[in-house]
Amino acid sequence: MSHAISAAELKLLLFEADAQARRLTCRLRLPRAELDDIRQDLLVDLIARLPAFDPERGSLGAFAGLVLRNYATRIAAKIRREREAFGAVPVSLDEEEPGRDGGTRGELTAEEDGLSAWLGQPVDAFATVERRLDTERGLGALERRDGALCAALAHTTVESLAAQGRGSRSSLYRRLKDIRLVLMAHGLEAA
Amino acid sequence: MTHSITKLPAARLRIKEIDLCGWIGQAIPGERLEYHRGFLALDVTEQGTRLAERDRSELVRVARRAWWAAELGLVHLVQRRHGPDDYSYLAIARPKPRHVPASLASFLLQEVA
Repeated sequence: MSHAISAAELKLLLFEADAQARRLTCRLRLPRAELDDIRQDLLVDLIARLPAFDPERGSLGAFAGLVLRNYATRIAAKIRREREAFGAVPVSLDEEEPGRDGGTRGELTAEEDGLSAWLGQPVDAFATVERRLDTERGLGALERRDGALCAALAHTTVESLAAQGRGSRSSLYRRLKDIRLVLMAHGLEAA
Repeated sequence: MTHSITKLPAARLRIKEIDLCGWIGQAIPGERLEYHRGFLALDVTEQGTRLAERDRSELVRVARRAWWAAELGLVHLVQRRHGPDDYSYLAIARPKPRHVPASLASFLLQEVA
């Protein structure tokens, strides 16, 4: 049964969702930054289930409380599953770091301390530029035909080039070995 | 009439081509590397070498690479005489050339064309 909600009822729904979100974040010891997300998730679920509200069976407050509790239980179970999988202390990038003028962890974490650095990806922008310049200089030292081979290998394989008639596999690999030595002599190592 | 025959000192392969290239790439100007000790002209020939065949082939590559680097202006090549048929062959690093005659973009454009 559809039920048009008044401004006062909407205020009640917002209040109930806010209270449930606060209870949940407190019970699960979630960071404060998670509160808005959880309140929004609870409200969206409540609004989606509002057409099922029947005023003859109870008050809107009771209905909202029941729906919110159910969904809060599901959110809590999901968070517990995530903690079991990824660790007991979740860390959010949106979480404010204490004593850092309201800056969040995402804003204050340096690239060198980030996940990409931990996974071995280059994060130093200056080093990247220097490497690019070194690569340009090294490629400049190659003969044109060797440079063309490098450019071709940027998007295809030695086998494909051999099939296209650009030399036998063994001669292409010999040239590659020589190119590697030339680049090394110009200060470039294989990645 | 008798002639004294000088016995050549035993030679050995000091570095490989990849080591030489690595050194050239990383060396500071003025640094030096002895890439061979002996008599290079003799040691690279099949008849006169005192090296095993595999080492002799590698020495040929080392010598060619050193010459290539000298022609590109990456190193100076000098030798120091220690005695009869006994020389140190030295590579002395030079400042790296800064000019870039070609770029990656030009190669890629050429490949697309």
